[in-house]
Amino acid sequence: MFDLNFLLSGDYRDWLVSGLLLSLQLMGITLLLALPLACGVAMLRLAPSRLLNGLGAAYVELIRNVPLLAHFLFWYFGAPELLPETWKERLYAGNIEAASAIAALTLYTAAYMAEDIRSGIRAIPAQQFEAGRALGFSFLATMRLCIVPQALRLAAPPLLSQTLTLWQNTSIATVIGVAELMYQTQRVEAASFRSVEAFVFASAAYLAVSLLIAGLAAVLQRKVS
Amino acid sequence: MQTRLHFAALLFTSIAFTQVAQADQLATIKAKGELVCGTLGTDEPNSFIDAKSRQLVGYEVDLCRAIAQGLGVKAVVKQLAVAARIPELQQGRIDILTASLTHNKEREALIDFSLSTFYTGQRVLVKKSSNITTVAGLAGKKVLTVKGGTQEPNIRKAVPGVDVVTFETAGQAYLGLQQGKGVGYVDDEVSLLNNYAKLGTAQKDYLVLPQNISQEVFAFGIRKGEKGVKTAVDQVLRGLEKSGEAEKLFFKWYGPTSNVKFEKRTFKIESDKIDA
Repeated sequence: MFDLNFLLSGDYRDWLVSGLLLSLQLMGITLLLALPLACGVAMLRLAPSRLLNGLGAAYVELIRNVPLLAHFLFWYFGAPELLPETWKERLYAGNIEAASAIAALTLYTAAYMAEDIRSGIRAIPAQQFEAGRALGFSFLATMRLCIVPQALRLAAPPLLSQTLTLWQNTSIATVIGVAELMYQTQRVEAASFRSVEAFVFASAAYLAVSLLIAGLAAVLQRKVS
Repeated sequence: MQTRLHFAALLFTSIAFTQVAQADQLATIKAKGELVCGTLGTDEPNSFIDAKSRQLVGYEVDLCRAIAQGLGVKAVVKQLAVAARIPELQQGRIDILTASLTHNKEREALIDFSLSTFYTGQRVLVKKSSNITTVAGLAGKKVLTVKGGTQEPNIRKAVPGVDVVTFETAGQAYLGLQQGKGVGYVDDEVSLLNNYAKLGTAQKDYLVLPQNISQEVFAFGIRKGEKGVKTAVDQVLRGLEKSGEAEKLFFKWYGPTSNVKFEKRTFKIESDKIDA
């Protein structure tokens, strides 16, 4: 009964491949946006100001204490409705599904990555920071030129493990109609009733990309330590 | 030794399960004293949560209860996602599917069907501001519907080149239409008219496209080859038709006092055949 062949040709294959590509794109774009945001939030949490610290902490706690599914639904069904009419129309004419998914994933991933980067920064001896300030660099310049580059190197393994989580989290975007891998898998299942084969394909694809990221993390870990 | 023991236990349980599956399902239902019906619970008036009583009610829920009563057992109604319906039935987690299930040829290869319990079509609701007045006008436009049903393949067949986005429930797709995330919302006629009725004064901004995109016949899903269950279910349904109870239930949920306001009943529960 089990027959993978029907997946490997024609429409079904095209759907699944397009889903896989979109999932990879979601991960890539989210990473590009989340990393700088995470650096910014980590900096807020370490800045020499109570207000900024509080702001950074509030962001991290607010995001991390709400399930990702709720984030997706909020950014798709909720948030855009608050925009002025003309913006909304322009947004809805485009690919609002993918845009909402990227917004949700970026904010969510950045909250976790910010904590990893903060740990990385705290692992750099305080004297380096003091030396930077003593040489006349501002807080931001010391961070940018001296601390963050080293911290990112240290934080690379945990950041990759967040990337792994991010990769798996892209699958939740199916609930807001993003045609990623899980969406296309369900579509194949609904059209062909071949649940086992469709989910075996999806699982294998998720596993393969996950293993690749995990392997990369292992290599980096060895280099850093 | 440990492994061998585990293996033996595994073997034993799998044999036990196979035997349960092989036993006549009707006898199993009667022995445990309950009939488990799988339903959607999100598709008014077939099955939905009543806002006041918070209970699962509807046309199909009432029919499920009537069938259970006919078999002399208790009815248990379980909520399912649209896409999970057939797998849940096949895997034996429910006894019959009373879940707005379209009877079609593709599905006949997987499961059996009871007598048809409802005849309907699928329609499209659009916003008037989109200036779309026919189904053909949807070509190249984004329409929203529920995941895992016959709505998606049917609209794709009816309008080549349409852009379909699907959601977990029909309610989400409908919300998407109201928010303007697509120009059309595709659903079974009754669900669609029901949602349309709830718009109230906002109805003037919406249009139900006059053409059906498909003909749909609903029936209850029964596990493949369970002849005993099929005979028993069909017998109860025939009895309901004969006594006038089926007609009463139809008007209770679809009649002039309901949201969909059907004036008459154009079918009888008497056949389990569908057009190819």
